[in-house]
Amino acid sequence: MQIYLPIAEMSLDALLLLGLGGMVGFLSGMFGVGGGFLMTPLLIFIGVPPAVAVGTEANQVVAASVSGALAHWRRGNVDIRMGLVLMIGGFVGSTLGVWLFTFLRGIGQIDLVIAISYVVFLGIVGVLMVIESTRSWFRSRNPMAPRRKLHYHNWMHGLPFKMRFRRSKLYISALVPLGVGVFVGILAAIMGVGGGFVMVPAMIYLLGMPTAVVVGTSLFQIVFVTANVTFLQAVNNQTVDIVLALLLVVGSVIGAQIGARVGSRLRGEEVRIALGLIVLAVCARVAWTLVVTPDDLFSIGLGGRH
Amino acid sequence: MAARILLWIASAIALSFGAPAALAQSVVVDLSHREVAISTGFTGEELLLFGATEGSGDIVVTVTGPRREEVVRRKERVAGIWVNGASMTFPDAPAYYRVAASRPLSEIADEKDLRRLRIGPESLALEARLPVDRGAVGEFRAAFIRNKQHLDLYGSELAPITINSGRLFRTSIPFPANVPTGEYQVAVFLFKDGRLISLETTPLRVRKVGLEAQIFSFANEHAPWYGAIAIAIALLAGWLAGVVFRRN
Repeated sequence: MQIYLPIAEMSLDALLLLGLGGMVGFLSGMFGVGGGFLMTPLLIFIGVPPAVAVGTEANQVVAASVSGALAHWRRGNVDIRMGLVLMIGGFVGSTLGVWLFTFLRGIGQIDLVIAISYVVFLGIVGVLMVIESTRSWFRSRNPMAPRRKLHYHNWMHGLPFKMRFRRSKLYISALVPLGVGVFVGILAAIMGVGGGFVMVPAMIYLLGMPTAVVVGTSLFQIVFVTANVTFLQAVNNQTVDIVLALLLVVGSVIGAQIGARVGSRLRGEEVRIALGLIVLAVCARVAWTLVVTPDDLFSIGLGGRH
Repeated sequence: MAARILLWIASAIALSFGAPAALAQSVVVDLSHREVAISTGFTGEELLLFGATEGSGDIVVTVTGPRREEVVRRKERVAGIWVNGASMTFPDAPAYYRVAASRPLSEIADEKDLRRLRIGPESLALEARLPVDRGAVGEFRAAFIRNKQHLDLYGSELAPITINSGRLFRTSIPFPANVPTGEYQVAVFLFKDGRLISLETTPLRVRKVGLEAQIFSFANEHAPWYGAIAIAIALLAGWLAGVVFRRN
């Protein structure tokens, strides 16, 4: 059943879009990630203009994150203070990111920057994820091995503007979460993702937050940052397709619920190894589009704003 | 508007070397629809163009879409990856262009005359914005046409026109799902023995209708509200999903 997407200005099969939403939703529910990093490249592969894919995905991630954020909120797994600091950084970063996006689109380099960002960040995160989860998988088989220290003292602790984050049991400079927020905000705007795959490791390894509050706090700030990206992309670039977003949302919320049920029966390390491999596969697929010689070296696009 | 002016020019040229006496009223043309309406289920549409001539001759039909600024970019290999390099802007390029004819164009008229009448993609007035690398214009122009043909927005080959009993003719004009919206011009040329004896033009409109049109214009004219509504829908959908599945 073909449906015309008013902003993407093309028609696609509605069932295909529901199916994509369902599949990505299933994986995101199983692995506890937003799924933007899978959905945006998939949309580009099926022919949605990259700018529309990114703008629309930000909108879809709002929907995908809000139910998770609410669930964690009710269980008290959100460090609100930390979430607010990250959110302020995220607002600054995503605003910068959308501005950068508009600029790159004007000079015809946005597709390249989206692709390179995917290759770099998915590559790094995928490799780290596979290494880390393989290690802990071996450790779980060999309980006598020495455990790693959970908390380090380093350069970060010399920074000014120290703040107490009670829920995370941390007393650190507000500049660190602020910086993390800015960085992830830029990525969210350019890659059309929530940024959980960068935010969560940063919270654990850089900020040293306890794992119990990491996911809830990350989702909490993702809702606000992706809402900001949606708004700014809609205003600056008119690249948010409500019809496309809605189809993806319907598919993904259903898929996510099924995925969460399946995921709860699997072992943590194995799930993380699988996720790491999927991340690397997406990374390789995007990298391929960059290096393979295109059929036609020339491409056309509309000048200025359309 | 630009298309209209061009047609005026084309008619003026036609008059200057055609047979002026026979120019008026020797072709009548109509379309099955005056408008292509893009709605939810739009997957492309074909319009039927039909007409009659006074006496026999060769028919050529051109359909020209709205003119807009298009940019052609050439990829270059930088450190192993393909990057957009040199670009050329065509500020007044037709978004859509197709030619149909009752015989191969070369048998109908001289190449020089065809060029003057803007018949055939090679004779489109694709002027690049200055400053421009003169040596590369040809290559970029060809790439533009090739890419347009790939998108099915320019005809890849000459579409046929069927002529019945020597006077009635018909052809179909395909509009793919990605057809740009705007004002189109359909021009019908009647040639006899290599000379243009009549030119008839008729406008055609491609527009979005219904919900699609409303969403599109709302997104452009009230962008902040559109953004806010998109966020509200997403928040509501996410919250609703949480509520529904928690009960189960």
